[in-house]
Amino acid sequence: MSGRPGRIKSNRKTDYPPTDYERIFHPRTLAIVGVSAEEGGVGFGTGMLKSIMAMGFEGKIYPVNPKGGNISGMEIFKRVEDIPEKIDFAVIAVTARHVSEAVEACRKKGAAGAEILSSGFGELGTEEGKALEKQLQETAARGIRVIGPNCFGIYCPASGLTMLPGPDLSRISGPVAFLAQSGGMAIDLAHAGNYLGIRFSKMVSFGNGADLRESELLHYLAADPETQVISMYIEGIKDGEDFFLAIKEAASRKPVIVFKGGLSIAGQRSVASHTASMGGSRVIWQSILKQAGAVVVHDSEELAQANLAFSLLPKKTFKSISIIGGGGAIGVTACDTAESYGIEVPPLPARLQERIGNHLPKPGSSAINPVDVANPYVSPQNLKEVLLIAAEDQRIELQILDSLLYHYKPLAKMFGKPIAEITPYKELARAVRDVVDQTGKPVIAVLPNPRRGSDDMDITELIALTRQEYIHLGIPVFDELHDAIRAIAHINTYYGGRNK
Amino acid sequence: MKNDKAMRIIEKALRQGRKTLSEYESKQVLAAYDIPVTREILVRDKTSLDKAIKKIGFPLVMKGCSADIAHKTEKGLIHVDIRTATEAKKAFREIMTGMEGFEGGVLIQEMIKGRRELVMGLTRDPQFGPCVMFGLGGIFTEILRDISFRHAPLDVRDAQEMMQEIRGHKILDAVRGMEAADTKRLTGMLISIGRIGVEMPEVSEIDLNPVILSGSNPVVVDALVILKQSSEG
Repeated sequence: MSGRPGRIKSNRKTDYPPTDYERIFHPRTLAIVGVSAEEGGVGFGTGMLKSIMAMGFEGKIYPVNPKGGNISGMEIFKRVEDIPEKIDFAVIAVTARHVSEAVEACRKKGAAGAEILSSGFGELGTEEGKALEKQLQETAARGIRVIGPNCFGIYCPASGLTMLPGPDLSRISGPVAFLAQSGGMAIDLAHAGNYLGIRFSKMVSFGNGADLRESELLHYLAADPETQVISMYIEGIKDGEDFFLAIKEAASRKPVIVFKGGLSIAGQRSVASHTASMGGSRVIWQSILKQAGAVVVHDSEELAQANLAFSLLPKKTFKSISIIGGGGAIGVTACDTAESYGIEVPPLPARLQERIGNHLPKPGSSAINPVDVANPYVSPQNLKEVLLIAAEDQRIELQILDSLLYHYKPLAKMFGKPIAEITPYKELARAVRDVVDQTGKPVIAVLPNPRRGSDDMDITELIALTRQEYIHLGIPVFDELHDAIRAIAHINTYYGGRNK
Repeated sequence: MKNDKAMRIIEKALRQGRKTLSEYESKQVLAAYDIPVTREILVRDKTSLDKAIKKIGFPLVMKGCSADIAHKTEKGLIHVDIRTATEAKKAFREIMTGMEGFEGGVLIQEMIKGRRELVMGLTRDPQFGPCVMFGLGGIFTEILRDISFRHAPLDVRDAQEMMQEIRGHKILDAVRGMEAADTKRLTGMLISIGRIGVEMPEVSEIDLNPVILSGSNPVVVDALVILKQSSEG
């Protein structure tokens, strides 16, 4: 009973040809309707035009404004009809009451889709706004897919389409897709992904979701070869049954990470029985998402971390791990955290402990697992040996290296050198990569930093540089041990559950 | 696909303009879906009481039974652990008096003994439609809210997972000298509740509370089926 394509209902006529997502996400000809020729114009249309140009979009752009003129060296067409060729996709940023007309003109020009940045529709709650949205839906039903209105649009690194306000998003594609009604949530993740090392296939902020929205997009992404991990932030949905089936179908093919917002108030409805009153949106949503096989996260950081883990780690469970690091309570708290997520940190066999001990300072270190390296200045070479030896334990499926690099600051001060110069972070990242290659077991790097004040900007910079070094080598990095372990637990839930 | 026996009971209630089924009717609907319920006989007059008592056997439970009465405990319409014909006659008189004005009768019911109480139910979520509930029953339902839901229809795995999902899932294990619950039976019950939700749009909500584990066997001891009001289509 998994959701076959035919089961995804749509508000479109069934005799209409299938949506041409290729031309929507990878357009070669693009109309931007609603640019302003005026100097210093900062409207959405102009902003999008400049952003898409800054992204290095390789296709042809046709700016449109009834006043004509020129912008960024391009002729502005007075009407969509005047564009000299067929268009693939359109960005619409005219006032709400002119949107449908513009969309219709784009449809006649052959556009497969249009994203509507303009607001002033259903979100206003006014009769006029609702009527305009209905009109837009009717226009869409004639044969063009509408994204929005009231959205930031599509980001597709491969084609150079970008969201507002994103002239500087990455052009490097990767496995992660993200869907959200909220444009802010999408643009934030795009930026966060850039430094965390999450690479995106496609992002869609669909705003009011008048036409194309969660269930259809999920269905598309489930089949999309460019996407390996689907993530989404969702508030309301249009059709619960469709959504449930769409998630279930997608999750049977690839991980689907869901952050549901708006769970706090059950909503006003008459409740006659006990069972209904025990429900309410929170518990029902959580149960439904779990049943559909989704990975449920509770905030945007957790969502980003799950995306990172799913995109960089092998597609399997990690039930038993080793943790190597320093710091007072690592032995105890790391075990506590792991246990609460159902992950084992088994003591290493005595023979391995003995060999590990040879690479660690004494006294103070402990080679049991978690391995307490006792001293934050243990060299990358020795850490590499420790990781290699720990990996010899057949039970260990993944290793975490928790490095307290901020402790290099006092050392830097003593030697009168910049912290980034005396910290062997490049060697560290290289050593970890070598361990992964030699053992075939993934290593996660954890880089905690309790010193984040304005007088410790050098530490912040060092951590950023180290993270970058790791990411270049394909090693996932987390700020805190807890974040890393929780992300592993999400992977275990997905690959250990019904989505094996 | 509809279950004819269940449908006849529901249609009759709808024709009478009722919003709920009585406990007796509710259990007949459940039984039609192979959900284990208490053995019981509805008695409307004193003359059939003896026969009913003989058939059910002591100890038994007697309850005022009417679609119009909720909160039977508070109204003193439940008498438990009745062990003699004299006690039964007295209880019958008291219940009939307490029910004055309401259409109905007295339910003569086998007394299910068991220390473990569960709850099951059906709700219709405004977004997702029929959802089946499982959790700790009796007074713990409200105190602990240790419950889980699944969207109907349920498969075997859905039912197993929702039972494992509650914090108190160990109540189903062999604990403190009690037998492990018949989870196969429980699974079937949850799937059946989901089927009612899918097949019977006329049923708006169902409460099975408590479902008592009699040894390893789950039995529905009290049940309420709420019907969709005609204004809701």
